[in-house]
Amino acid sequence: MNVRTIAVGSPSLVAFLRTLCRHRFRGTPTMRLGLVVVGILTLVAVVSLFWTPYDPAATKVGPVYDAPSASHWFGTDRVGADIFSLTMAGTRIDVGITIAAVGIAFVVGTTLGALAGFYGGWVDAVVSRLTEIMQAFPTLLLAMLIVAAVGPGVWNVIIVVAIVGIPDYLRLARAEILSKKTWQFTEAGRMVGNSPVRLLRRHLVPNSVLPLVAYSSINASWVTALVASLGFVGLGIEPGSAEWGAMIARGEDSIVSGEWWIAFFPGLAIFVLAAAFYLIGDGITQKGDGR
Amino acid sequence: MRSHGMLIRKIAVRLLSSLAVIFGVVTVTFLLARVVSPDPTNLYVASDADESTRDVVRARLGLDTSIPEQYLTFVGQLARGDLGTSFSTGQPVAEDLLRKLPATLELATYAIVCGALVGIALGIVAAVRQGSLLDRFLRFLTISGLAMPHFWVGLMLIWIFFVTLGTAPGPVGRLPIGTSPPEQISGFLVIDSVLTGRLDTATAAFQQLALPVLTLGIGVFAPIARTVRSTMIYTLGADYIRTAYAMGITPARIYGRYALKNVLLPVLTMLSGAVGFTFSGAVLVEGVFAWPGMGQYALQAVQQPDFPAVQGFVMYAAIVYVVIYFLVDLAYQQADPRVRI
Repeated sequence: MNVRTIAVGSPSLVAFLRTLCRHRFRGTPTMRLGLVVVGILTLVAVVSLFWTPYDPAATKVGPVYDAPSASHWFGTDRVGADIFSLTMAGTRIDVGITIAAVGIAFVVGTTLGALAGFYGGWVDAVVSRLTEIMQAFPTLLLAMLIVAAVGPGVWNVIIVVAIVGIPDYLRLARAEILSKKTWQFTEAGRMVGNSPVRLLRRHLVPNSVLPLVAYSSINASWVTALVASLGFVGLGIEPGSAEWGAMIARGEDSIVSGEWWIAFFPGLAIFVLAAAFYLIGDGITQKGDGR
Repeated sequence: MRSHGMLIRKIAVRLLSSLAVIFGVVTVTFLLARVVSPDPTNLYVASDADESTRDVVRARLGLDTSIPEQYLTFVGQLARGDLGTSFSTGQPVAEDLLRKLPATLELATYAIVCGALVGIALGIVAAVRQGSLLDRFLRFLTISGLAMPHFWVGLMLIWIFFVTLGTAPGPVGRLPIGTSPPEQISGFLVIDSVLTGRLDTATAAFQQLALPVLTLGIGVFAPIARTVRSTMIYTLGADYIRTAYAMGITPARIYGRYALKNVLLPVLTMLSGAVGFTFSGAVLVEGVFAWPGMGQYALQAVQQPDFPAVQGFVMYAAIVYVVIYFLVDLAYQQADPRVRI
C-alpha cells in the first residue's frame, strides 16, 4: 500500500458511492419505507406510459363529477376525465421533473461550491455575492418570474427549479471544502504531488459528499412542492396537463361545491412523494451522524 | 475588550453589503421583468389591437425607451423612494404595498406565534419522551407538515371545516362579505374592532383568520418542532445536564431552564425562515383564502404582468430578508459570546 492511499482513505467517487450503498443504505426502517415508496412511484410512472385504467387525456370516460367508486377509484372531474388515470400520468411529470432538477442543482451547485471553497479569492467573492442575491429573493416568486420569462415547458421548469435550488448546494459544498482544505489528508495528498484538480475531484469532494446527498433528498421533498406550486398558478407546464399542481388548481373551485376528490388525490400524491424523499434524507442524516 | 469603533465599522460594512444585495435583487427583477413573455399592453388594449395603439400604451407606461434608459429612470426613481405606478391599479406601488401590508402582518403574526409556541412545546415533549408513542405520532405530524404543499392544506381545511362541518366561514378574505372594516388603528382587524367596541366584527375577523392561520401555522410548526426535538435530545445528553441531575435539580427545571437555553438558538434560525415564509412566501395560501395581502398582490402582479408592482414586492421581500438575518446575527451574538463580531 503506498503513501497516497493511506493518506486519503477514500480513493474515488465510485468507490465511495459503493461504500455508501453497501453500508448506509440498509438505513433506518423509515428510510427503507421512503425508498420503497419512491421506487413504487417510479414504477407507476413507467407503467403509466403503457397502461392507465382510462385514457388520461380523454374526456367523458365516465359521468361528470362522479364521486370515487369501483369504476373510477379517484372519481371524475368537470369534463368526465378519470382522476386516477390523470394522477398516474402526473407521476411521470412530477417525479421526473423533481429528480432531474435536483440532479442538476446537485451537480452544478456542488461543483461551483467546491471551486469557490478551494480557490477562494475572486472566484469565491463572485459566487458568494450571486448566491446572497438569489437567497434574498422569495423563492417561489423568483421561479415564477423566470418561468414567465423563458416560457412554459417541462425542460424550462426543470432548469428554473434547478437554478433556484443551486445556492443551497453551493453554500453547503463550499463550507465542507473550506473546512477540509486544512485537514492533514489534504496536506498529505498535496505533498505526494496531486494536482489541485485531482485533489478536489478524488479526495476533497468524495469526502464531503455525504451531507450533500442527505440534503439533496430533503431538498427533493421541497422541490416536489415547488413544481406543484408552479403548476398550481398555471405557470410552467402547459395548461390542461396531468401535472399534480395543475390538477389541484382545476379542482380548486369544486371544493366549495363539495367535489373534494378532484383536488384531494393529486395533493395526496404530492404529499406521499415529498414525505418519501424526506424520510430518505432523514435516514441518511441519522446514519451519517454516527460515522 | 474591543473598541466601539471596530463594532461600528463592522455594522457599517454589513449595512453596505445589505444594500448591495437589495440593489442586486432589484436589478435582477428589473431584467427578468423586461424579458417576460406576456405583453403588459394586453392589460389596456384588446388582444387584436394594432401595433400603433400598443405603442401609445407603451409610451404611457414608460416602456417605449431602450432597456438601459428604462433602467436608469427606474434607479433614479428608486433613489428618491419612488417605486413607480402600478400598471393594473394605477396607484403608486408604495401606497399599494402599504395598504396590503396589514393583512399579511396580521396573518403572519398569529401564524408565527401559534406555530412557534406549539412547535417548541411539542418538540420538548417529544425529546423528553423519546421513542414513545407520542414521539412517533409527533414525528408523523412534523413530516406531514413538511411534505404537504401549503396551498393544498388550505384547500383541504376549507373542505373539512367550511364545506363539510360548517364550523368555519368561507374563504372570502379578512371579513365576511357585507361587513365594513373597523377604523384603522393598528391595522390588525381583531384588535381594531375591539378598540372601537365592535365585538361582533372582532369575532367575525377572528373566524376568518382561523383557517389561514392554521394553514400557515402548520408550515411554521413542523420545522421548529423537528429542530427543537433533535437539539433537545443532543443537549440532554450533555455533561452539564447529567451534573444538574446529580445535584438533585428537578427535571422540569432542567428541561425548562438549562436545556431550553441551548435549544432556543437554532429555533431562532428556524423562526427567521418562518418570518420570511409568512411575510413574503405565503403567496399561494393568501390566494387560496382570497386574503388581500402582499402575497396575493405579488401573485396577480406576476400573472398580469405588472412590472412596477413585481419590482416593488420583490424589493420589499429582499428588505425583510436582509433585516431578519441582521437581527438573527445580533441575537446570536447576544446569546452566544463565541460568535461576537
